[in-house]
Amino acid sequence: MSGPAIIIGASHGGVQAAASLRQQGWEEEIVLLSAEDALPYHRPPLSKAFLSGEKAAEDILLRGADFYAGQGIKLETDLRVDGVDPVARRIRMGARSLSYGALILATGARARRPALDGLDWQGVHLLRDIADARQLKAALADAGRVVIIGGGFIGLEVAATAIKAGKSVTVLEMQDRILARAFPAALSHWLAKQHRAAGVDMRLNCAVDRLEGEAGRLRAVRLADGTRLDADLVLIGIGSEAANELAWDAGLSCVAGGIRVDEACRSSTPDIFALGDCASQFNRFAGAVTRIESVQNAADQARIVANVLTGKAPEEPGANWFWTDQYALKIQMAGLVLADCPVTVRGEPDSGTFSLLQMQRGRIVAAFSVNRPADHMTARRLIAAGTRLDPILAADGLVPLAKAVLVAEKAA
Amino acid sequence: MVESVTVIFETQEGKRIPVQAVIGASLMQAAIQHNVPGIEAECGGSCICATCHVYVDADRLAGLGGPEEMEAEMLDSAAAERRVNSRLSCQITVDAALEGAVIQVPETQF
Repeated sequence: MSGPAIIIGASHGGVQAAASLRQQGWEEEIVLLSAEDALPYHRPPLSKAFLSGEKAAEDILLRGADFYAGQGIKLETDLRVDGVDPVARRIRMGARSLSYGALILATGARARRPALDGLDWQGVHLLRDIADARQLKAALADAGRVVIIGGGFIGLEVAATAIKAGKSVTVLEMQDRILARAFPAALSHWLAKQHRAAGVDMRLNCAVDRLEGEAGRLRAVRLADGTRLDADLVLIGIGSEAANELAWDAGLSCVAGGIRVDEACRSSTPDIFALGDCASQFNRFAGAVTRIESVQNAADQARIVANVLTGKAPEEPGANWFWTDQYALKIQMAGLVLADCPVTVRGEPDSGTFSLLQMQRGRIVAAFSVNRPADHMTARRLIAAGTRLDPILAADGLVPLAKAVLVAEKAA
Repeated sequence: MVESVTVIFETQEGKRIPVQAVIGASLMQAAIQHNVPGIEAECGGSCICATCHVYVDADRLAGLGGPEEMEAEMLDSAAAERRVNSRLSCQITVDAALEGAVIQVPETQF
């Protein structure tokens, strides 16, 4: 493949792709394009340490400012790509156009916007990028009453940050539990209890009817049951959607809300790859084509693309993993949650140090660890290997998880 | 003028990569900044992922203080073998005493 590698999107996946390409010996030019007017940064702290002020923008950079030039990576920021021509193998940006040998779409996702009026009012926030986070941070400083729409990771992390800053915080969740798509029910209930204990007004089964404001300024949130909640600040965290318009317009196949890619992260057009939040790929643990939003998934897929473009075989992906920090809780997730699957409890939830395991036909498929990093690390390996566990030992929090592996498995 | 020291990362293949490590920043940041192969640091230094595992020069180890409990637990289950000189580089703050230290990168982080 000759010609430069052009990477559109410079977040976790795009930057990892550029770095890995260089590590793997890619000799052609690497162009890394970012729509944002900022050096590439870690996204997870935006709702936590960056929002709280504990870390500044320069503390959360993915790489230092001189990394890119030092690695021969041409980073261009504040630049929007208008279109891809897969036949001519060129991308268009205003009057400019660039030709590529390989194109890597790492365009990520954007915050989903609800069908509510008033999203543009002062006081109403979404959180996806550092510009959003800066605005939210400034608004939070002046706000007393914070209402968060959506009990997902972003909403709950911001809730924890806002509580720590002494705000009055209400979380509105439509479903009967928080994090319903990511957690087993027992963990949702446990975490909701922690938020309530910290002072969050957590409202489940709660639908928003409208935002109320005057003169372009948010005043309140009106619930479907008629309740009016006064609010200085609303954060909406109801999930995200793949930013796949470029792919769509270029005629690339899209599926499951993302750009369809094979095990090499190649799209339906051979010279175009996609990775991270914008890509849908067969996941052997899910047994289905899925779009997975996580740092790990983006970085793993970036390494796959770098391997493939430098003539190596794509690595077999390991188990998916995720994390969230809320208050003093370090919650680590390995594998993909299995709906309606019973959980095995390790340790004592009341102590704040425990893990929940999900097993299917005796094999561990997912682990949710609260302040138990050893369980998480072990579970990642066991899940990737589809290991069978002794259910009695697995449920004993005093026995290391690795010791719960069935003897027959160890021999194999 | 930002003060820094030179530390030497050594890959499994024996390749030595000297890097300027900023005093006060983490050792992981120095590795990432210079694209040292084998240091992934996916979580950005939150002590979550154990993909910045390193083996520290034995005679520099004592000066660093021991790993805290969270880090120790992560190290126990890191992908590569845990040795007495294993650390997560995100939990090591670079200081002047690290000048010239050789930091080995393990064979795998996954």
